[in-house]
Amino acid sequence: MNKILKIIGAVACVAVVASGIPAWVSGAEDGESSGGNTVVSVMFHVSTSSKEGQAYKKRIDAFNEHYKEQKIKAQATYIPRTSGSSANETALTAMKSEGTLPDIITFDSPKCSYYASKDILYNITNMVSDIKDEFIASSINYYEDKIYGLPVQESSAGFYYNKNLFRQAGISDKEISEYGDETPWTYTEFLSVCERLSSVCSTSAVDMRFKATTDETAPYLLYPFVYASGGEFCSKDGNTVTGFFDSDETASAFGFFKTLLDKKYSSYTVDANDFYNGKVGMFLSSGWTIPDLRNKNYTAFPGGEGWGLLPYPYEAEGKAASATGSWSFGITDNHHKDKTAARMLLRWLVTDESSQVITEHTGMISAKKAVNEGRYADGSPEAMLLKQLATTGKSRPAMVGYAVLSTTFNQVINDLEKSSDIKSFLTEKARTMQATIKDY
Amino acid sequence: MTKLTVLIFAVMAAVFLGVVAYDLARAKKTHTQFHIKHCAVGFLMIGPAVVLSFVFIMLPILFSLGYAFTDYQLLTPDKVKFIGFDNIADIFKEIFSGGELLTAIKNTAIFVVCVVPLQIIMALGLALFCSRKVRGAAIFKVCFFAPVVISLTVTSYLWLTILDPAETGLFNSLLGAFGIPPQDFLRDPDTAMLWIVLLSAWQGCGYQMLIFLSGLTNIRSDLYEAARLDGANAWKRFVNITVPGLKSSVLYITITVFIGACRIMVQPMLMTGYQEHTVTLSYFMYKQGYDFGFVGKSSAVALLMTIFIGLITFIQKKVLSEK
Repeated sequence: MNKILKIIGAVACVAVVASGIPAWVSGAEDGESSGGNTVVSVMFHVSTSSKEGQAYKKRIDAFNEHYKEQKIKAQATYIPRTSGSSANETALTAMKSEGTLPDIITFDSPKCSYYASKDILYNITNMVSDIKDEFIASSINYYEDKIYGLPVQESSAGFYYNKNLFRQAGISDKEISEYGDETPWTYTEFLSVCERLSSVCSTSAVDMRFKATTDETAPYLLYPFVYASGGEFCSKDGNTVTGFFDSDETASAFGFFKTLLDKKYSSYTVDANDFYNGKVGMFLSSGWTIPDLRNKNYTAFPGGEGWGLLPYPYEAEGKAASATGSWSFGITDNHHKDKTAARMLLRWLVTDESSQVITEHTGMISAKKAVNEGRYADGSPEAMLLKQLATTGKSRPAMVGYAVLSTTFNQVINDLEKSSDIKSFLTEKARTMQATIKDY
Repeated sequence: MTKLTVLIFAVMAAVFLGVVAYDLARAKKTHTQFHIKHCAVGFLMIGPAVVLSFVFIMLPILFSLGYAFTDYQLLTPDKVKFIGFDNIADIFKEIFSGGELLTAIKNTAIFVVCVVPLQIIMALGLALFCSRKVRGAAIFKVCFFAPVVISLTVTSYLWLTILDPAETGLFNSLLGAFGIPPQDFLRDPDTAMLWIVLLSAWQGCGYQMLIFLSGLTNIRSDLYEAARLDGANAWKRFVNITVPGLKSSVLYITITVFIGACRIMVQPMLMTGYQEHTVTLSYFMYKQGYDFGFVGKSSAVALLMTIFIGLITFIQKKVLSEK
């Protein structure tokens, strides 16, 4: 009996010691130095197998080489985001709970207010005040007028169009060029193009991405219409949505979507590949589509030719607006009080050289003005997006409760077709949203 | 929070070791040396399972129970305040004001009411089919069981492809052959939940089929022979022999399918997103807890849901169990 009790005691001791090992191990990593180096940790939202991940890896390797003498070492982890509540964000949440946040993270720009208000992000205004003018202004992440993030690259969106279908619909090159000229096209002009395209498109004139309501796709691509109609999502402090989300102007933007549905210019049933197969005349999508159209030999665009890009339209009485805001770098408000190494790595990751490497890998537009200078030929899709960003780029609303807005936006888009009174529908949604965001 | 975890772990470990010591001491008094060893080996063998179930089941339940009475927000675990029954009161307010939570409860109720009988009937039908001594019955068993081993995510995407609203979608292509225009099954509030019910019943019934099959083999064949000699037709044999013989299987399946159905989340999440016509209680909890960050409120919903499921399960057991 004694022997058995001893065995049980020994097992219990081993269990207690074993349970303490992880804490001891993490404690060893918790220090700011390892092997004589000051370690600065960074977490990226992509895997190293992606082109973007490879670019980050290159820049981290270069940083480590450059600061070898100064004994500063960057340690990177790559946790890819997925749709919904991503693996990346779950990891971030767990790290915050455990107090093991890395020094630098990448985050999607609309999350800035939420992360900043919950002390995940660190106020970097003073660290980057000398370089902030080097960026496209709308790309910088602010919360309560302080800077919390610097963009990795820029992202905008527009209407990709099928030149062949436009020609068949009698839309001349001259007319097209006017839409992308000094001022973008109006809703009336947009509807007129849709009307003519309807006769030559086998499914819909335009894929407005009304179907993409299970994640951030639809809110990201469609939110500029609210601004372009003169509407708003919330008050300036981001705490009030009633009176903004259900204003006449905002309702007018959703009314424009409904018109597109009612007139059958767009629908919820457009297949994601219909544009690539030549069944749809226009396709609302982000800048990520440019390398796809160029490099993949789609049926409707053999050799990567036969397509163009048009800007966002706007309500004649409103002010043109276009999508902006991609992923950003931010320093975290973690247990490392000395942010010197984090500051150095952050600034390294947003140098012109880093920006160039990243954009070369992804094919996206750089958020650094200098990198974009003379980079794109006049009339190229990238030049159009760049011009659009500079003139009409408007970021998504800075709200702590952005997740609630994004969810509601998707619900509104999804239920738009069957809603007969948009204004009342939005009022009801704004009321529900307000009840939720008050708890933040 | 880590200190609390360690404390709970220590209490649980102490309780477990206390039980072990008490049992061994009792065994020493009343049994032979063989029984004492037998008892100790038993405890050592269940040790890893106890640790795992504590870490992955008990601990989350205990934490969730505690969070239900706090204002815990996901990204501020260091600023948690005890708020008593405020979350519970808010939940009832939301239900009575006809908010999203009420919609989630209604949708979950519709799903449960539809899927439980459907899945049981399908499983029983398949089990009866497979229990017949026909050629290739084993192949059918494998086919019917296959969806169970495929992840819900995969089956949801599979059905998304089948139900694609485009005219090139699999099901819509079929409808198109009969001149019927493409249907947006998952966006239509009248049909979306119906399809989720069908998918779920199809995906899950293979497992219950196996339980019914095992129940069927336990029914003595001489009962059927005697009934046949007495002139009972197939329906009478089914009602008077098969159904009573499967009573315990039906009880187990009803309870497990009911509990599983109450927790439905993956299918609406992947197939429709967070939409009013398909949002369920678990999806509501997930959205509140993970996306919106209101862990306290989400835990309070989980607590009420657990109490409700426990209550219904207790009633089911009382009503269906043999006297």
